[in-house]
Amino acid sequence: MSIPIVDFDRFLFAFTIGSHILIVSLSIGLAIMLCAVEFLSARSKDRYYGALARRLVRPFVVSFGIGTASGIVMAVELVNLFPGFMTLVSKTGVISIFYVEIFAFFLETVFLVVYVYYGKLFHGRYTRWLLTLPIVIGTLLSAVLIVMVNAWMNTPNGFDIGTYLATGAVTGVDPWAPFLTPSTGYEVFHVLATVPLTGIMMIGGFFAYRYHKSSNPDERTLFVKGLRITVALSLVLVVLTVISGVLQIENLYRYQPLKYAAMELNVNPGTNLPETVFGWLNGTTVVGAIQIPGLQGILSDHANVPGLSQYPSSDWPPLIIHDTFDTMVLLGVLLGLFLFGYAGLWVLKRRPFDRRFLAWGFVVFTVVTTVVMELGWMTDELGRQPWIVYNVMTVSQAASTNSDLFYPGLVIIAAYIFLVPFTFWFMARVFRSKSIEADLAGPTEGTDVNY
Amino acid sequence: MSTINWLFEVNFVIFSVFLALFLTELMGGVLLLLAYDRAKAKVLPYIVPIWEVTGTFAAFWVVTSDFAYPNMLIPVADLFGGLIVVFLILIVARNASISFAELITKRGWVDERKLYQAYAIATLLIGVVVLVALSAIVSGAGVDLSNLSFSLGSWLANPGSALYVLGAVVIAVGLAPVFYGFEELRRLTLPVTVVGVLVEAGALYLYASSFLSAYFLIPTVLTILPALLFQSRQTAPIVSHKLVFAVVAVVIVFSLSYLVYPTAFNGGITVDAWTTTGPMVGAYYVLSVVGALFVGLLMALYLAVVQRSLQARTSPSPSSASVAPNSPNP
Repeated sequence: MSIPIVDFDRFLFAFTIGSHILIVSLSIGLAIMLCAVEFLSARSKDRYYGALARRLVRPFVVSFGIGTASGIVMAVELVNLFPGFMTLVSKTGVISIFYVEIFAFFLETVFLVVYVYYGKLFHGRYTRWLLTLPIVIGTLLSAVLIVMVNAWMNTPNGFDIGTYLATGAVTGVDPWAPFLTPSTGYEVFHVLATVPLTGIMMIGGFFAYRYHKSSNPDERTLFVKGLRITVALSLVLVVLTVISGVLQIENLYRYQPLKYAAMELNVNPGTNLPETVFGWLNGTTVVGAIQIPGLQGILSDHANVPGLSQYPSSDWPPLIIHDTFDTMVLLGVLLGLFLFGYAGLWVLKRRPFDRRFLAWGFVVFTVVTTVVMELGWMTDELGRQPWIVYNVMTVSQAASTNSDLFYPGLVIIAAYIFLVPFTFWFMARVFRSKSIEADLAGPTEGTDVNY
Repeated sequence: MSTINWLFEVNFVIFSVFLALFLTELMGGVLLLLAYDRAKAKVLPYIVPIWEVTGTFAAFWVVTSDFAYPNMLIPVADLFGGLIVVFLILIVARNASISFAELITKRGWVDERKLYQAYAIATLLIGVVVLVALSAIVSGAGVDLSNLSFSLGSWLANPGSALYVLGAVVIAVGLAPVFYGFEELRRLTLPVTVVGVLVEAGALYLYASSFLSAYFLIPTVLTILPALLFQSRQTAPIVSHKLVFAVVAVVIVFSLSYLVYPTAFNGGITVDAWTTTGPMVGAYYVLSVVGALFVGLLMALYLAVVQRSLQARTSPSPSSASVAPNSPNP
């Protein structure tokens, strides 16, 4: 059996980006945590926050190194695997977004290097906190800019689409328009909530687990203080995720109605449609689903919602996005309930971190958050199929047919299968590479690099 | 006389900075492989902070290339697809090995030394891949432009190809002690560098005698000069200064632009015909100018911090003592 090279291109890129966002989410989470901890350390002069900063920076260096490599892999893969897409990108203002992203990347890199390798030169506590701010800004800006590209893929603008579809010529280019497509604000808001949430939950899960593994009172204190920050940040982010998620549905309703119909598994358009939970399409009938009458009309806030039958079936995305969407929402709701319950116990001084089953619950919900983020990304990307640029260019038109990429591509996949778990394991190790006593005693500025 | 194509020039300047930084890493990699224990103290304090900046410049160059040559992306993907994927695997190996090397605490079968040497090997292999691609772009060796294919066998069959890679590696070996201030290897640097330049000249001559034009004198002189100045104890500190050397390396790489402009692939394509047009040209200039100022500011900050670190190292005050071990020579 031979695999069509276009499908292999698609799989290779999906695999790479699916792995990349795991590391990047943690990287963003670590940057935000580091900034928060440095601020608290500066404000309170609490030595535990100092030790926590000292510990957090070590995995951050690793995640940055691997994330950078992975980012370069993706940038080059885009050219290699989807040259048709990148040609359109490069002839329109979308390439300007990539260009600006490089400067965000420089901001993050230079300040990270200064903070990590030369941090000992900066003695003021608030100075060290200020050094972490550009790292967070650069990291988040990189995420925002890459989401702007994704928003453009969903709602393209900045060139004469009619002429392009008719002749293939790129005309009427506005180099700045892709920075603000109709869906940019919605997508950026949603990603700025969900990706940091994932990263911070990963850190929180680790703290909750290590708290129970450790018998050292100082270390346990450190983990509780860390947990308090992660829970507080996660609560804020989970609320923002819900708000931005609802707005995102509105965005799809307006600008990608077919994706909306597929996600909701609406066969026909209509008013006051039920909310279809799970199930699948058998011919033109939905089977195996739980139908909640009228709920979709309430949730979508629109009397009339679109249906699949309005579009040729050749344009339909894979309907698995209905399941990925429903699973994402279900798990997201459970995550929210867990976080509010955990925080509630804390407010009531019931010490949730002391309860072993809640520690394991935190670990489980760390995985759940990661799954939710990946499902969200899958829903977005699969929901745009067969298009790579919505209603402009299909994946097949964009992809390379160069079969030379097949075996090296397999090597990349194998490398990621090994590298990603190993990176997470290694980060967990370097976090605790020094004793808690040493970290408490030492200055908070920097890391212990082997050279 | 044709006008200057600033799209090409800007892109090539960024490429020159990237390649110059990468070459300094590659030279360090050579030393780490040949004499780890002696090289460690001089090489790692430079490489450990800078490798992240090199990677950023690599991404910078990739994006400006996408911007400047949109019509070239499909041919490049077809031509060098396999080679590029190998490059990507090596980039992952490079970053992973050095990231892990920086923080590993275990002293078992994999330790800091092995990981740094793995980084050095990955860097050297990246260097080879880059040189293969560059030599193909310069000479057209192994390239079939009509079918948009690249054959490593055909590339190797051209006698200039192996010499091209060999010459570059020999130059890197020759200049490595200069950049990293290895005075005990002083006597070797000049002959090895001269041999490297001669081998490189031979490679270019075998590709096309026209490559050995008067322009070739500029990189030749600039490459031999640091090795020459390194022979004198008075001038050695100047050429061993990291910033001075890096600037010279950028100029050397940039001076080789005549090999790919106005035509690349040994006359196979005219570069001007491939650069972007219309409103995107203006956007490219605006972003390049603003970005260059921004990156320049960041690099100035970085250099200022490194300088401060050096001053702290030379200052005998107790507060600066802790700074010394981690302070690279800029």
